[in-house]
Amino acid sequence: MTSYAPPSVSEFVARLADAPCCAAIVDPVRLDAALRSRAPGIFVLRGNGLDLNDLIERVHDTGKLVAVHLDLVEGVRADHWGVAWLARAGVDAIITSHGQLMSVIRKEGALAIHRLLLSRREHLDTAVNAFSRWRPDIVEILPGVVLPSVATLLPPLEVPLLAGGFIRTPLDARAVLGVGAVGVTTSSQALWDLDGR
Amino acid sequence: MAASRTPIRLPRVLVAESGHDGSRPPPGLDAGILLRSTDLATVIERALADSNPPAVDLDTIRGLDADDAAVAFLRRRLSIEILLTRRPKAASAFAALGGLALHNVFAFDSTGLRRSIASHPRGARVGTVISPGLVLSHMLPSELALLVRPVVAYGLINTVADARACLEHAAAVVVRRSVAEDLAGGM
Repeated sequence: MTSYAPPSVSEFVARLADAPCCAAIVDPVRLDAALRSRAPGIFVLRGNGLDLNDLIERVHDTGKLVAVHLDLVEGVRADHWGVAWLARAGVDAIITSHGQLMSVIRKEGALAIHRLLLSRREHLDTAVNAFSRWRPDIVEILPGVVLPSVATLLPPLEVPLLAGGFIRTPLDARAVLGVGAVGVTTSSQALWDLDGR
Repeated sequence: MAASRTPIRLPRVLVAESGHDGSRPPPGLDAGILLRSTDLATVIERALADSNPPAVDLDTIRGLDADDAAVAFLRRRLSIEILLTRRPKAASAFAALGGLALHNVFAFDSTGLRRSIASHPRGARVGTVISPGLVLSHMLPSELALLVRPVVAYGLINTVADARACLEHAAAVVVRRSVAEDLAGGM
């Protein structure tokens, strides 16, 4: 690979200040639109994890960051070696619900994004304990659209928060940013150009 | 017991409890009890003690498997009428025994929602639990149309306003007792 190095957490968060919505890609035909947009990052949620080199190069050529969901792409197992594969392919961040992989991801030099699937109130306490144990760089909460309703139930988190899932309108996005999320991940193309100011 | 075809009535509100305090639903509310995050002995005790059998969240009951034997025990021996589960086979088996099964559909994002709906077993007497229920009011009409009725909203419904918003799209909501009491006071 090249000598490219992923950004630090603070650099990642800084990029979200101007354009807070990252493009969630579940279909490769949407990639071109995402690359033309203001979205600072491309979150790859589907596709062949063993065949990402061209995609990563195209994303980096536009100055954007690329995050890959370890649990959802095909061909790569959610374990130490799968993490190593993606990191060495040049991804900037790796997303997974497996907390025990956070340290592995950081060790491999990528940003570690812990995806929290929130369906019950009781999960909040469990999640906060998991964050303190696994120490992700960033937490992504799904479904993000409910974040304004549950934000008061969350204790203060010491990691940046992304919100994804059912966020479709500027109003939705502003609402989650208003309760502390630093960014949004969304497949809604209309939001990819949302201004962060 | 032969599989009854008598329609099962789904209350508008299911009060989620562990069952240890033996409490009843708040009066003045069309409500039932949902036993969750508890153990098999408590489910048996509550089912035998209550004239209105509780609904059961199968996947959260310690000591109880989710196989055919467990489903038959709940339906035939305990006369449980409403069963929530994420397991398609268990849902179908419970429905075949005349109960109302509610299959868990997870709604964390729009793509995952469609995949989760695809795993729904369909069939008579198998409805949907949407998790988290609070998402219902954020779903598109086209997504709502995909949900197999009846739909129960379950999860992150923390206020009366949340519950009422969900009830615009769902036949029932699952809430904690404090929310149910507020609903009873204001409905």
